[in-house]
Amino acid sequence: MKFLLNTGRTIRQGSYVERKNSVAYQEEATSLCMNPVDMMNLELEEGSQVVVESEQGSVVMKVHPASWITQGEVFVCLGPYANHLVNPETHGTGMPDFKGTMVTITPTSAPLVTVAELMERCGGVRYED
Amino acid sequence: MKIEDVVCPFCGCLCDDLVVEVEGTRVVSVENGCTLANEKFMGDHRLKTPIRREGKGWKETTYDEAIRETAEILCDADRPLLYGWSGTHGEAQSIGIHLAEILGALVDNTSTVCHGPSILAIQEVGHPGCTLGQVKNRADVIIYWGTNPIDAHPRHMSRYTTFADGFFLKEAFRDRKLIVVDVRKSESANIADEYIRIQPGGDYAVLSALRAIVQGKRGIIPSSVSGVSREQLFRVADLLLSAKFGAIFFGLGLTMSRGKSKNIRNAIELTEELNRHTKCIISPMRGHWNVYGSNEVFTWITGYPYAVDFARGIAFYNPGETTSVDVLSRKECDACLVVASDPGAHFPKACAEHLAEIPTVQIDPHVNATTHLSRIQIPVAVTGIDAEGTAYRMDGVPIRTRMLFKGTYPSDTDVLDQLYAIVKEIKGP
Repeated sequence: MKFLLNTGRTIRQGSYVERKNSVAYQEEATSLCMNPVDMMNLELEEGSQVVVESEQGSVVMKVHPASWITQGEVFVCLGPYANHLVNPETHGTGMPDFKGTMVTITPTSAPLVTVAELMERCGGVRYED
Repeated sequence: MKIEDVVCPFCGCLCDDLVVEVEGTRVVSVENGCTLANEKFMGDHRLKTPIRREGKGWKETTYDEAIRETAEILCDADRPLLYGWSGTHGEAQSIGIHLAEILGALVDNTSTVCHGPSILAIQEVGHPGCTLGQVKNRADVIIYWGTNPIDAHPRHMSRYTTFADGFFLKEAFRDRKLIVVDVRKSESANIADEYIRIQPGGDYAVLSALRAIVQGKRGIIPSSVSGVSREQLFRVADLLLSAKFGAIFFGLGLTMSRGKSKNIRNAIELTEELNRHTKCIISPMRGHWNVYGSNEVFTWITGYPYAVDFARGIAFYNPGETTSVDVLSRKECDACLVVASDPGAHFPKACAEHLAEIPTVQIDPHVNATTHLSRIQIPVAVTGIDAEGTAYRMDGVPIRTRMLFKGTYPSDTDVLDQLYAIVKEIKGP
């Protein structure tokens, strides 16, 4: 099912921003907020894992119900997981479309990855602190 | 020891009324701070020593070796990028610009992925703004457009708007009207007198409709504009027109959505038109505590606020071409120095991939997503905790942050000074 991905600051993301290797940061940055009606249509429960896929890539996230979001839209806090899906095209402005990525969401049993693993997929080498 | 009037180095509010208790080289309590400030001061998750990538692992190294190798990487590069700067003090930003000049490098700050489009709009049509003190004492109608201060700037409402009593507003919560415009019903929207839910990408059209109403052209407004009813548009325009002093604060909901800088231009022009009827100001909600300072420092020295390219030997500025996301996604730069920011987490994947491919060095107190993409990381003191320096609040007011204790880490200025000296020695006179 197709959705419009919106990203933005959350207070939990801000709280853990200097601990990006932590489980707490990973939990927040992989939390996908979705309207409960959309969750019902996709037969998802709170905490269900989904693959979120765009033209740029795909990541596994956990779904959370959010009645404050309109059907057809999903919200994830800013961070490496959401940005794995964002197109780098800036249309000559320097600013990518961080708030307007079309994504496909499908249920999965695949595991969540850590920030270090995600950066390894980008060609990095993990550092465990 | 309790220290009063401490400045918080987290968001652009730069709250300067914190009381922080310090024992030795550790913060043990914070009063008056929001959740973000408490985490910032109480957090104890620093990288202990400089680290260097070796093969598929990491080894500790010394400051002298790490800084020397960084200088060599930057001098060997044909097109180095020096990125970040908003999480450090103005004095360090200044050294960064001078470093870029002798390297012939491209130097950019985090405005590039936050309020860069706002700057483009301000360059076109100006900035009718004021200090937050004026807003606190005078503004009786507040708009938060595409921003959620309860999460991103938690004390903005209690220090300057909704919950802050002012000289002309003795009971702010009742006297001020709060309007929140957003595509989602955020925490801030929940307490608004008027919540305007806009369809994604519809900001430009709604701003244009409000401008038409302010110009007296109510008859041309259709029954709904980007999901907002005509009745609500009339109601909001009337609130703004009847205000004694309106204040519009906008966030990344405008700068990152379709239209980008043109959304901001439209919002500024709405403000200008409102000023033909009453007083109204507009200001961006700046995110990083000293991102405004990076724009100031860049502009004093180069004439441009971000995305400055010294490859030609002079300062050249062309956002869309010389901005970090464009340069990285084109795979144009061949080395990168990241200072006080985390592009690994906050740039699109294609940029992170290029950062991993080229020699990237990071100067930052904490392990973050960029750490895994880097070849070297040099930990430094945190400005406002164990280093001091000047920062600019979101309304352009410079505030001196304080050093609460003398720790063992060098400051950004110390490391960059040493790096600059070595680069200068390699480059020659």
